[in-house]
Amino acid sequence: MTPDDMRRDVRTENLWKIYQQASEEVQAVRDVTLTIQPGEFTALAGPSGSGKTTLLNLIGGLTRPTRGQVRVADHELSKLPNHVLARLRLNQIGFVFQAYNLLPVLTARENAEFPMLLQGVSAEERTRRVDELFARTGMEGLEDRRPGKLSGGQQQRVAVVRAVASKPALVLADEPTANLDSASSDALLDLMDELNRDLGVTFVFATHDERVMERSRRLIRMVDGRIDSDVIRVG
Amino acid sequence: MMIARRKAFQIRVIAVLALRNLRRQVRRTLLTATAIILGAGMLVFSNAIGDGTHEQWIDDGVRTGSGHATIEHPAFRMSRKLEDRLAADVRAVAEAALATPDLADRVTGVSAQLTISGMASSAAGARPAHILAVDPQAEVDFTNLDDQVIEGRYLQSDDRLAAFVGVGLVETLDLRLGSRLVLTAQDTNKEIVGQLVRVVGVFRNGAPPVDNTVVHIPLAIAGEWLGSGDDVSKIAVMVEDSTEVSSLVRRLRQALADPVDAGRVTVLGWREAMPALASLVAVDQFGSYVIFAILFVIIGFGIVNTVLMSVLHRHREFGVLQALGLTPRQTGAVVLLEGLLLTTVSTLVGVGLGTWLTWYFLGDGFDMAVIAGDSLANNMEMGSVVIDPIIIPMFSVARTLQTIGWIMLIGILASIYPALRATRIDIAESMKFDQ
Ligand SMILES: Nc1ncnc2c1ncn2[C@@H]1O[C@H](COP(=O)(O)OP(=O)(O)OP(=O)(O)O)[C@@H](O)[C@H]1O
Ligand SMILES: [Mg+2]
Repeated sequence: MTPDDMRRDVRTENLWKIYQQASEEVQAVRDVTLTIQPGEFTALAGPSGSGKTTLLNLIGGLTRPTRGQVRVADHELSKLPNHVLARLRLNQIGFVFQAYNLLPVLTARENAEFPMLLQGVSAEERTRRVDELFARTGMEGLEDRRPGKLSGGQQQRVAVVRAVASKPALVLADEPTANLDSASSDALLDLMDELNRDLGVTFVFATHDERVMERSRRLIRMVDGRIDSDVIRVG
Repeated sequence: MMIARRKAFQIRVIAVLALRNLRRQVRRTLLTATAIILGAGMLVFSNAIGDGTHEQWIDDGVRTGSGHATIEHPAFRMSRKLEDRLAADVRAVAEAALATPDLADRVTGVSAQLTISGMASSAAGARPAHILAVDPQAEVDFTNLDDQVIEGRYLQSDDRLAAFVGVGLVETLDLRLGSRLVLTAQDTNKEIVGQLVRVVGVFRNGAPPVDNTVVHIPLAIAGEWLGSGDDVSKIAVMVEDSTEVSSLVRRLRQALADPVDAGRVTVLGWREAMPALASLVAVDQFGSYVIFAILFVIIGFGIVNTVLMSVLHRHREFGVLQALGLTPRQTGAVVLLEGLLLTTVSTLVGVGLGTWLTWYFLGDGFDMAVIAGDSLANNMEMGSVVIDPIIIPMFSVARTLQTIGWIMLIGILASIYPALRATRIDIAESMKFDQ
């Protein structure tokens, strides 16, 4: 591992997220300590309510922990104000959500270019990257469509292109295949697998999908907010 | 380089999102835009009508009264007495000042008048009279009475023993054209003296106090009759419109600084000279402001409603924006910009419409009788001032800018709350699938 890789890993230390519901408290994430190395292709599995989404949100800085620490790219997230967190996400983290995560008023290309635009990437460079990724994902010809005119699988492909085109160190995907038929989810997994192998992008999925678990190279199972098992698989 | 470009791109992203969101909600956008356009248009037009009305009140008032500005003896206003008059030398200084090029350009009428309280009598009886001794030639540009002749004519410069008399007085004294009547008043030595004059013209103004008492005679006759020579009670000055009054008064006070300091003369604007008219205008203006305030509140709620609704419906979208790296402040900026764009464009269209409407009525005027009903169709009377029902709207750039400023302010204020809501959304919460 190079020193640069050291800086790109993700660590959580004794991480807790407790939601205060009217009378009872919900411990969504309980004392999770975890390190994710650069280039991992990791699935986070577990029954509904086990805390997968919450853990992803904590790592992505979308939610603040109740206790404990999250370090991403050598930044201790709990110490950062919201606008700095936003900038960290812009430069280090790509997100893919279960559904409806494209901006409805932008075309497929504009959606895919969006984070690069915020980063200040030049027009030629944006076009080059999106053209290449759209070609790899079979999205050519659909660049000018708005999300409303794309199928669920096509929308998810645009979301994945958007997540990786801005060259983040880490992509967090929350049930990216949940709304897709098996052919579409296989295609999407192929794409992410390829991007992971070719570009070294780290992927972490929260999923119920057996296919995603099978293709992951590390499988973490959560139960009641805790890590129940953590298995490195040979890929 | 990269950082400058990043800033520029981010601003562009915010603008594009705001514009596209307005376009996506066409119906909601158009509805609110229509409300703002109508509001702004109404505001501009009713302001122009209101200002035009007031201008007309002022114009009618100052013509029957003492001009946009009056130069007179400090004590005259209260005493109305002949002894509190302007000496000939002060009159000369004032008239010289009014003749200097910068004032002469703006002044549309000057009337040096001697006001005399006296009696008018004929074989049929005697009545109190407000006798106004004027320079016929100058007075023609000034008074409205020469337009209200029903018999004979107004005074002329070569008239000697002539009188222009209100119809009420003509009737009670049983006069006709060419009739003689005797005017009596105190002269400068406090002696009661009489003057014989002949009726050369009769007017009907419509306001009983004017028709029943006013008599105009040539100033030269009055000077001989009362021994006041070229002295006058006041010099009334008219300008193009009331907006020029304060600078006129300032210039005259400068020019007359010495006699003003000596207590021999004072310069009053119409507000000071006619406080009743001034308060009438102020009360009416206040009424309009109340209506405008209500209109502003309605427009404000319209904008809040549109912008806030669009925020509430787009929680998930704002969540995505922030997950992708837009800062909370930039997210708020998208919303603020939406409100601002909506308000700016609609306000400009509305103001354009109102201005067009104002121009349209500028030529022929706007007939208030259409709104006020036939009972007012002929003449409207306010106190002793008769008002024409045809209102010429008054367009003013300052007024229009003021209107634009107010609506824009409302637009900004109305967008702030929704924008704050957008900055404060809980990203994780907004991204939940079931939303
Ligand atoms: N905002 C919240 N307020 C209160 N409780 C919450 C909130 N968000 C999540 N929880 C609770 O935290 C626990 C973990 O939720 P989380 O969404 O992380 O589970 P998950 O593993 O992603 O489930 P699923 O597979 O159904 O998506 C659940 O019990 C949930 O009800
Ligand atoms: Mg979940």
